[in-house]
Amino acid sequence: MPRESNYASDVHGATGRTGRIVELLTAYGERAGNALVYSSAYLAAIAMAEVAIAMVLLSLPPNPAPVVVGLVTFAVYTNDRVADVDTDAVSDPDRSAFVRRHRDTLYVLASVAYGLAVAISVLGGPVALAVTLLPGVFWVAYAADWVPSVAPHFRRLKQVLLVNSLVVALAWATTLTALPVAFTDAAVTPATAVVFAYFLLRSFVDTEIPNVGDVEADRAIGVATLPVAFGVPATRRALYGVDLLTLGLVAAAASAGVLQTWLAVALGVGLAYSLVVTGLLGRVDNDALALASECEYLVVATALVGPLLLL
Amino acid sequence: MLPPGTLTAVMLLTVVVGTTAALLAWRERQEPGAVPLTVMLAGQVWWSVFFVLEHRAVTLAGKVFYSDIQWLGVVVIPVAWLLFALEYTGRDHYVRPRYVALLSVVPAITVALTATDPYHDLLYLDTGLVTEAGRTVLHRTGGPWYWVITAYTYLLGLLGSIPLLGLVRSDSLPFRGQSLGLLVGTLAPWASNVLFLAGAVPVPSLDPTPVFFAVSGVAYLGAITRFRLLGTSPSANHRARRLVFERMREGAVVVDRHDYVVDMNEQAAEILDVSPGDALGNPAAEVIPRYEHLPEEGRASRHLTLGEGLQSRQYDATVTAVADFHGRSLGGVISFHDVSDHLQRQQRLEVLNRVLRHNIRTETNLIYGNADLMDAENGHVEAVKEGAMRIEAISDKARDVIDIFERGRQSGRSLALRAVLQECIEAVREEHPSVAVDFEFVRNDDCADGAEIAVSPVLSSVLKNVVENAVEHNDAADPLVGVRATCVDEAVEIRVADNGPGISDHERAALERGNETPLEHGSGLGLWLIAWGTEMADGDLTIDDREGGGTVVTVRVPRVVPEE
Repeated sequence: MPRESNYASDVHGATGRTGRIVELLTAYGERAGNALVYSSAYLAAIAMAEVAIAMVLLSLPPNPAPVVVGLVTFAVYTNDRVADVDTDAVSDPDRSAFVRRHRDTLYVLASVAYGLAVAISVLGGPVALAVTLLPGVFWVAYAADWVPSVAPHFRRLKQVLLVNSLVVALAWATTLTALPVAFTDAAVTPATAVVFAYFLLRSFVDTEIPNVGDVEADRAIGVATLPVAFGVPATRRALYGVDLLTLGLVAAAASAGVLQTWLAVALGVGLAYSLVVTGLLGRVDNDALALASECEYLVVATALVGPLLLL
Repeated sequence: MLPPGTLTAVMLLTVVVGTTAALLAWRERQEPGAVPLTVMLAGQVWWSVFFVLEHRAVTLAGKVFYSDIQWLGVVVIPVAWLLFALEYTGRDHYVRPRYVALLSVVPAITVALTATDPYHDLLYLDTGLVTEAGRTVLHRTGGPWYWVITAYTYLLGLLGSIPLLGLVRSDSLPFRGQSLGLLVGTLAPWASNVLFLAGAVPVPSLDPTPVFFAVSGVAYLGAITRFRLLGTSPSANHRARRLVFERMREGAVVVDRHDYVVDMNEQAAEILDVSPGDALGNPAAEVIPRYEHLPEEGRASRHLTLGEGLQSRQYDATVTAVADFHGRSLGGVISFHDVSDHLQRQQRLEVLNRVLRHNIRTETNLIYGNADLMDAENGHVEAVKEGAMRIEAISDKARDVIDIFERGRQSGRSLALRAVLQECIEAVREEHPSVAVDFEFVRNDDCADGAEIAVSPVLSSVLKNVVENAVEHNDAADPLVGVRATCVDEAVEIRVADNGPGISDHERAALERGNETPLEHGSGLGLWLIAWGTEMADGDLTIDDREGGGTVVTVRVPRVVPEE
């Protein structure tokens, strides 16, 4: 019966084609997802969201600051992953394998991204340029092996307890706050200080959470972090403290009129989310938790934009 | 005329490319030249960034401030460029802190003068704002120090280009590509700077040099990625060549085209008993004995004896001419090879040989002469006489061997092959009339020029022995020997075939091994003489079995230029 056989083959053909398309989409989707996560491109997107939040908090007009911060974030983190590819093999073998496979391409992309960031920041004037160059200095100081040879007693910042996280948090807070201000020539107000302090505390938490998953690797290479020095429960308690401190800062700023109430509420939503994430520390998969922690700003952004969309 | 937006865009592109190239170079910081290249690119980026800021500033004070800051990048570039060129081409012994400090004196003074500019007129005579093509730009008239730093920049740029120019002539494509990329990258901004200084740019007060650093950045990036700059570095080349020159066992003296000594290695200084410091720059005739007797090129005909009495040493002096790309003479290298030990061994051998042969001949003649007087049966007397003749034959062979060694030392001599072969064949025909000897001299396309075929003089003894062996040891009922000479390319092949008993395997094995043992040795000196002589004539010897019995000995030697 030729008709039947044709029909059957059509069905099989259609199913086969669909299967292949699904297979291809899955494969490409998985690859794109891996590239996004492993290359730190997602961090760049989150950083851009952070600058956007800072701009909303400070009521600044649109400017290229989010683009510059996105490019710098991508450049610095990608370079860091390329530099630490060997040590990451212990804590994150999949990411380490991805970085090792695309090491040259990632380094070139990171270099181009940083070059673009520097060039765009020139348009923001000398302060914007200085703020953009700051992570570049850290790029060299943070991971370069010649620093100890220049100053024998100079330990890599990465290895000193609290200093490592504070340096990273300070760099983040400075970049996120100062860059949009510099691009728009805005005045430095009490709100600027609040936003700076907010990002300093948040970035500290964001830096320490992934350290819980890296305890063994960090201990192996002599890097002192909170979980390495005091254990996971103590780290959890410390980060609760930082979360509550941030909450207090936001509440005080709102009550003092430095921050509008609806903005404080949005930040509060983000902090509530962070408390939940901190509570799960050491109790669920660390990688997922680190990713969840970095997504706090997406929650804040949603809390900021959501009501506007509803209106 | 570039619109303001386009100029800024071009400058920002310069910054992107420069920063990217600097970070890529920084990644290769373990490679020679990478750190200075990074510094140079950082200097370019610095200059470009503050050029944009100067361009965008609206007040005179703002423009002056950014213009002054640019100097930090400007003065770094030539120093870093020279250091890069030195390190990259393997001359890193010049890259020392004290030299870097010395090179940085003029740039440091420039930066200091920039910082104190309002208090003197050394760097700028005049500063003001002018409107050119509807744009307000900073106009500054250079003072005396401005021209000093300009000249200094060009000087270092030129000095850095010299070693890299050497690579442009390199045989290796990657090195040529690298250095061309680097030269283009360097020449583009400097050419634009020359045009700016000459006032040949559309906006006279606007220095377009940083714009052309975009070209530099692209060229350097191209060199890094396309030609694997820093991944494939020629720096080892220079050092390795120097090491070979310094560590070679022969003494070597380099002379220029005017016969002045320009370089020598330690061995040469020791051989000639001079100190390099005193010898360099002096006429070669004052440093090298018998210099005027050395040939233009090639080995000197006489050994050079240096030193007195028992301490004297003998040297083979060889001149190698050095020419430039166009074949013009640049001078030469004279190398001294110590042959004292070799000559000493040869002298001892000659003395031993002469004494032995003389004594053997004398004693053999004595035995031969007295054999007839012996009271013995005639057969035994003949045996004694034949034995004595064999001893004498060995003695003659030994003489032939010495003769070969002697001829081998006489370079430039030659013999006509046809005459040599005819002489050998006539001699054996006369001595062994029962053996049929065929001779064929094939003149094919390879030697159709009609000229005489000449070979090394050592071939005389070699061929004589090959033909004699084929005839003397031929015990066939109908003894035959065929001699055939054929030209093959630049060589000549002499094939001697016989129908005799052949050459034993242990004799062939001894020849192949190159030495004899008490248990495995040849029957005499004949085969050794053939093998050594062929080797000395740069030829090949093959011994094969002949189809139907017998041996085929083939001697293949290069043809030499006939002696005039």
